[in-house]
Amino acid sequence: MTHASPDTAVTLDAALSTSLDRAVAQVNSVVLGKPAQIRLAFASILAGGHLLIEDLPGVGKTTLAHALAATLDLSFQRIQFTSDLLPSDIIGVSIFERDRNRFEFHPGPLFAQLLLADEINRATPKTQSALLEAMAEQQVTVDGRSHTLPAPFFVVATQNPLDLAGTYPLPDSQLDRFMLRISLDYPSREAERALLTAPDRQQLISTLAPCMDANQIVALRKHSASVLASPALIDYLQALIGATRAHPEIRVGLSPRAGIALLAAARAHAVLSGRGYCLPEDVQAVFVPVAGHRLTPAGHGSRDRETLARALLTDVAVR
Amino acid sequence: MRLDARQFNLLAIAILVALAAHAPHLPLWIIAAMAFVLGARWLQRARRADLGAVPIWVRLPLTLALPAAVVAQYGNLFGREPGSVLAVGMLVLKFTESEKPRDARAAVTFACFVLMAALLFDQSLVMSGFVALALLPQIILLRALEPRDDLALKPAAATLADLRRGVPQAAFAVLGAAPLALVAFLFLPRLGEPLWGAPSPDQGRTGISDTMTPGGLAELIADDSPAFRVTFDAPAPPPPTQRYWRGLVMYHFDGTEWTHMPSPPVRDASPRFEALSAPLSYEIVLEPTQQRWLFALDLPLAAPNGAYRNAEFTLVNEKPVMDVTPYRVSSALRYRHDTLARHERQLALSLPAGYNPRLRALAAEWRSRYGEDREIVQAALALYNARFSYTLNPPPLGRDSMDDFMFETRSGYCEHFSSSFTFLMRAAGIPARVVVGYQGGYWNALGGYMVVRQSDAHAWSEIWQDGQGWVRVDPTAAVSPERVNLGSRAANAADAPWHGPEWLLALRNQWDIVNQLWNKVVVQFNALHQQNLLAQFGVDHAQWRSLAIALGAGSIVLVTLAMLWALRRDRDPGDAVDRAYRRLNRRLARAGAPRDEAEGPEAYLQRLRQRFPQAAREIEAVFARYVALRYASAQPDPAAARAFAVAVATLRVG
Repeated sequence: MTHASPDTAVTLDAALSTSLDRAVAQVNSVVLGKPAQIRLAFASILAGGHLLIEDLPGVGKTTLAHALAATLDLSFQRIQFTSDLLPSDIIGVSIFERDRNRFEFHPGPLFAQLLLADEINRATPKTQSALLEAMAEQQVTVDGRSHTLPAPFFVVATQNPLDLAGTYPLPDSQLDRFMLRISLDYPSREAERALLTAPDRQQLISTLAPCMDANQIVALRKHSASVLASPALIDYLQALIGATRAHPEIRVGLSPRAGIALLAAARAHAVLSGRGYCLPEDVQAVFVPVAGHRLTPAGHGSRDRETLARALLTDVAVR
Repeated sequence: MRLDARQFNLLAIAILVALAAHAPHLPLWIIAAMAFVLGARWLQRARRADLGAVPIWVRLPLTLALPAAVVAQYGNLFGREPGSVLAVGMLVLKFTESEKPRDARAAVTFACFVLMAALLFDQSLVMSGFVALALLPQIILLRALEPRDDLALKPAAATLADLRRGVPQAAFAVLGAAPLALVAFLFLPRLGEPLWGAPSPDQGRTGISDTMTPGGLAELIADDSPAFRVTFDAPAPPPPTQRYWRGLVMYHFDGTEWTHMPSPPVRDASPRFEALSAPLSYEIVLEPTQQRWLFALDLPLAAPNGAYRNAEFTLVNEKPVMDVTPYRVSSALRYRHDTLARHERQLALSLPAGYNPRLRALAAEWRSRYGEDREIVQAALALYNARFSYTLNPPPLGRDSMDDFMFETRSGYCEHFSSSFTFLMRAAGIPARVVVGYQGGYWNALGGYMVVRQSDAHAWSEIWQDGQGWVRVDPTAAVSPERVNLGSRAANAADAPWHGPEWLLALRNQWDIVNQLWNKVVVQFNALHQQNLLAQFGVDHAQWRSLAIALGAGSIVLVTLAMLWALRRDRDPGDAVDRAYRRLNRRLARAGAPRDEAEGPEAYLQRLRQRFPQAAREIEAVFARYVALRYASAQPDPAAARAFAVAVATLRVG
């Protein structure tokens, strides 16, 4: 990887670029017909953010997470969230060790590089916030002692938007912890046919070999952060952010933190497009996943968040 | 660095147009020789660019030949024409040694001077327009001489493309200078006299001359250019039969030629004629004639400023008319002279001895047959009417030209008729004289003025009748009444194919309005008009000083504005990139693929690829430049920004 001055476009090391392409291709071979969503998932990884997949059961949320885990050579844990799940169930507990005569911390499933938090909205808010705090701080504190989470630490959470009985939907402030929120939607006709005729996905995933290790991901993250965002691009980004704050149907627009996330995601998207500089198209590609779950509509009669985010994209001019 | 083929071709074009601006008024052989040198040099460079400049042993003789040619043509090296030939010649010689951009720049500067010199000859709208257009190749060349990003165009194919592409830019530059030119036009102190002195009389339009031979006017009648324009104070012009614009009165006849002898000014205010009709007031705007006489309807009641009336009551200017000259006159269309001085009577009866015996015999016979002068006139007019025909292509006449005309050929035009009629009257003892001027005039109702063309040149007679004074008799009217009633165009229709069809005539008259306006507003803008203009702003009796202050202040304001604009414009190359991208968007929108305003460059390009598959590569290259400037660098490189602007300008879509 070349070390570039902030004024010019950066170039990605060829080997790293090849591994990234292979990794993306491999996930695409498992989750069929969803290249944009897979790209966004990788963007989330490269930008150092967490991913929330919100969709109906059975459209491949978990398959995507599994495919990512199999492709990235990362320690993987899966937590199925339920209403009786306690914070200690995911963080871990301190147990008194008789032979050593002291409390020993036994890390929970949270201590993984890639964590799949399935059906996160089924857990109680208390458990949810334990996870979300860990996501924000990259560490957990148990009995006054801090335990650093492994790096890279990447959470893929899923939630079912329709299943409302007995669930605790994430509050808006918590949603902000996820850099991107995507939905998978039904597969296309051809993709579905391939799913129906091809071997089982789980079986397929078990045959996958990892393409990228933790070091490479760290290097890619560093590279992604150095991607050039020209003044013109920042102009456009600010215009978009400004528009979210001025829109009559939006009560609360994007926060500065959301703006930073938007830029980071756009940079990662540029890397995935093989560029060392951001284009307005990168911002557009990540805008709805970044902003969609962060906007607060003004009230009844407003369009839903994603529609609003999409409308903003067509309203704000690229100069 | 040497001039590349494209720059050299542009230089050739720039010099060629400067040469062309002088072609109408310089001797053909000089123009042809210069064009030959120009062409030869161009061919030499085109064929063997490696040879470089024309060697000194060719250039030196050419350089020496130039003043020699000028002296051979004009007899000296000074004055308007010799100076112009020298200037044009030096410009062409500069071309023979032009190899470097520095040479080309010098040549452009000098070509602009040469173009300016062309205006010393002709300030008409057409010439001024040509000079303005001829500035474009000069500016295009200057731009082409600037070092710039290579456009990857083949030089040979690019000359015409360069010209075409450069025209809007150059026109913009010329228009940008227009306010400054306007300030200079309004405030530059004007001289009463032209700096370059009097041009030699053999140049320019001939107009009416002070001698008349049968056939002499024929050339003039073929000349369709305006002689002068008239605006009347009354709403309607006088009827066609009254439109006799007297210019010169000719008494002297030597057998072949009538001659005008200048007669002294009538200084006393008391008229020697009695006006029988209300005065008709009008203003004439005379085109340059290089002569001193002015034209007026019948008898002018007073001379305009700077002119005087002579004994024949025609107007004479104190100086030759070198520029478009306006003057006001009041005329009496009906009048009565009181007495004919003895020497005048003598002059009006004198005939050269030994010419035209048959005509003299006829006159003698009529004198004895008729008692009254009036009857003799009637007989003569009846004879013309019965036996003669009007033509612009009369057969040649012998030594006794009047005899030949009256008894043999019997066809001719105004000069023949007026000449023979005057001769006949004198031979019969009636004082008579020839008057040369213009008859008729086209009433341009649209412009509210009358235009009298050179083709309206006419000659008629005046005879002395006791109790009436000089009476106009137009024998041509007896032969061809339409010549007088409808104008020369109608009368000459059969002989004069150059007048063209009716619609062309209408077009010509509309064009004449434009010319008249140009004359009025631009060419006639002299020191007096300048004073009048400034007086409206409270500056009375503007002196050189106040003019210079106005000129200086105006120029400073304009130049400052231009510099501010230029600085602002070039402050941020990013602005230039934006501008060029907007321009690109406009052009693509015109080609049918407008950019959605929220569409990024990559997405737009994707669409354009499908829309214009044949131009996809070019479009991609332009967009690559844009993306590199706008998004792949924090600070756009000015040179790359310019290159992008050029790439946008040269992009051809579909």
